[in-house]
Amino acid sequence: MPQVEVLAKGLVDKIGLKGALIKHERNDGKQLKVEGEILDHKSGIEYLLGILIDPEYGCLTNLNEIDAVGHRVVHGAEDFSGSVAITTEVIKALEKSSDLAPLHNPPNLKGIYAMQQLLPDVPQAGVFDTAFHQTMPEFSYLYGIPYSLYEKYKIRRYGFHGTSHKYVSARACGILGEDISTKKIVTCHLGNGASMAAIKYGKSMDTSMGMTPIEGVMMGTRCGDLDVGALFHIINKEDITVKIANTLVNKFSGVLGVSGISSDMRDVELAAEKGHHRAAVAYQMYAYRVKKYVGAYAAAMGGVDIIVFTGGIGENDSVTRANVIEGLEFLGVDFDFELNKGLRGKEMILSKPTSRVKVLVVPTNEEMMIAKDTYTIVTGGVVN
Amino acid sequence: MSITLDRFSLTKQTKSVGQIQKAGLIGCGAIGQEIALLISQKGIEVVFIDLNEQLIEAILKSMADQLDQIINRWGMTGSEKKLVLSRIKGSVSYQDLSDCDIIIETINSQKPGANLEERKEVFRKVEAVVKPETVITSNTATMMISDLAVVLDHPERSLGMHFISPVSKINLVEVVSHFYTNDESFQIVNKFAGMIGKKVIKINESPGNISTRMIVTIINEACAILTEGVASVADVDKVMMEVTGNAFGPFEMADRYGVDKIHKWMENLYREFGELKYKPSPIIRRMVRAKMFGMRVGEGFYKWEGNLKTAKTGSIKNLGREKF
Repeated sequence: MPQVEVLAKGLVDKIGLKGALIKHERNDGKQLKVEGEILDHKSGIEYLLGILIDPEYGCLTNLNEIDAVGHRVVHGAEDFSGSVAITTEVIKALEKSSDLAPLHNPPNLKGIYAMQQLLPDVPQAGVFDTAFHQTMPEFSYLYGIPYSLYEKYKIRRYGFHGTSHKYVSARACGILGEDISTKKIVTCHLGNGASMAAIKYGKSMDTSMGMTPIEGVMMGTRCGDLDVGALFHIINKEDITVKIANTLVNKFSGVLGVSGISSDMRDVELAAEKGHHRAAVAYQMYAYRVKKYVGAYAAAMGGVDIIVFTGGIGENDSVTRANVIEGLEFLGVDFDFELNKGLRGKEMILSKPTSRVKVLVVPTNEEMMIAKDTYTIVTGGVVN
Repeated sequence: MSITLDRFSLTKQTKSVGQIQKAGLIGCGAIGQEIALLISQKGIEVVFIDLNEQLIEAILKSMADQLDQIINRWGMTGSEKKLVLSRIKGSVSYQDLSDCDIIIETINSQKPGANLEERKEVFRKVEAVVKPETVITSNTATMMISDLAVVLDHPERSLGMHFISPVSKINLVEVVSHFYTNDESFQIVNKFAGMIGKKVIKINESPGNISTRMIVTIINEACAILTEGVASVADVDKVMMEVTGNAFGPFEMADRYGVDKIHKWMENLYREFGELKYKPSPIIRRMVRAKMFGMRVGEGFYKWEGNLKTAKTGSIKNLGREKF
């Protein structure tokens, strides 16, 4: 890709709902927030294109300047192990896999249809959250349930945040001047949603999220790993439906559920400092569960060379980073706790120069990855 | 002047025909509130019309309380509650229905058989203010939709749309076409039902549809078993729950719907069909006179504390009480 420059960023929110809005910010800091009726994804994208060419807020002269469109698609099932050009066959496969991600893939498809209508001559690419983890070996992605369920419904672990894990692992190697194909890396994408990945020689070998984003480390409002027997017991005792149980583990659990304070780590940290017991435990649990995965992945890969923190918490919360790393000296980590203190949102090597295992903060940049993959695809390249 | 989205429209497109963005309800009692909450939860705005400001305030509070109960049972977050309530507005003026895409009449008159005229009046008032393409429906369980449609200048846009309580759990609606209903109106209702997650069971006009007709017959038969001294209230319910796989037996169902409401349905069906199987059992009549309406008043076939029931131990002569 010749030159990478962000011209503008933004989002369309609450499509089809009251209070629908578009936020937009040009690279010179000029901002726009406009509310109104956005009936569907097509009209949302239409307004977005209108803003891009607006003389006051826009960054393009006309829509002909757009050479390609990249879509983030949440679930690529087993059909996609890399980013692809959007074709009729790809759309058919995505329609089929909507079953696995009913909340995310249908709106992703709506975005694709809308762009096809609004910019019919512009090529489009799909970049999948699950694709990077398609290299997981069978023994890593299967669940210990009857194999027929995998055959019938594709019940297996897929993992998410793939674009982020891929980007930060590659970027960390770039910063260190190391060859990714020789390194064992644990990436910690820690935000309100959080996942870990074991990346061996550049390929995802394991990741903490499973068929859905509930599995794995404890998150802002998701429980992470939970004994399914406990869930059955809760369903019986509370006399709730499966749908409500799903809300319970997705929206009422994790840091929020344990602390009773908030899903925002900053609030929880403040409460913990003031002596709120449950907040302190939630804060501790969050880091403890990440630490367990670091150890597990080191064991799975036969060692670890690089540990990378990214995501809102991974990039900004120095206390959580320290809590995760503390005690990992036996793995060969010599962490610079002083350097770590107060570091927010910047690329930085946090291990001491003599440390065998390197620890880094690398702010994620999924949009950049999507742009790069899209460029590669529309110029005839292949993204694996 | 603030910036609007129109400025950025590439096509200056306006809202396309057939979009359903707002629903209007007339009358917001128990079932109306369930329907309003469901519609709003699916992202569609709701305006309900009721008698006075005081009542509207009470209705809004009742809906907020219902959402709090859902939150306490893990079904919703606090911010989702705010969003749901922000889409619901109450009004005393029919004029506020003018931009609705679909209307559902859900008035609840406690006067048996007397509310046909009231409902007709509602239909007249609604048609005077809504857009030409707005579909006008009624949630009536036992009345003939064509009896209401006759008052409209355009009866072809009217249908029956019968929700069954508990609305959030019963995943279907009975959609009733009458002789004049046109296909466009049916398609809009069909689309709306899909948007709020309900399957459509399309039926031809008949009082009681499928659900009410079956329910009242079963309850009447259960009352016959009780009056003949064959089995107790609790045993009839136990057998029916096991055999049919339903969550409630016929007596609990009557208590939950309201014995007075069941009585009204029976009266309407008896009047329409003239068949004895719909004629309210003497037990039902006695209970209505004794104001044993069921769960909402704390006593019906069972004693109730909130959602918890206990069996009554007295004789049928005393309607289950030890003494009357």
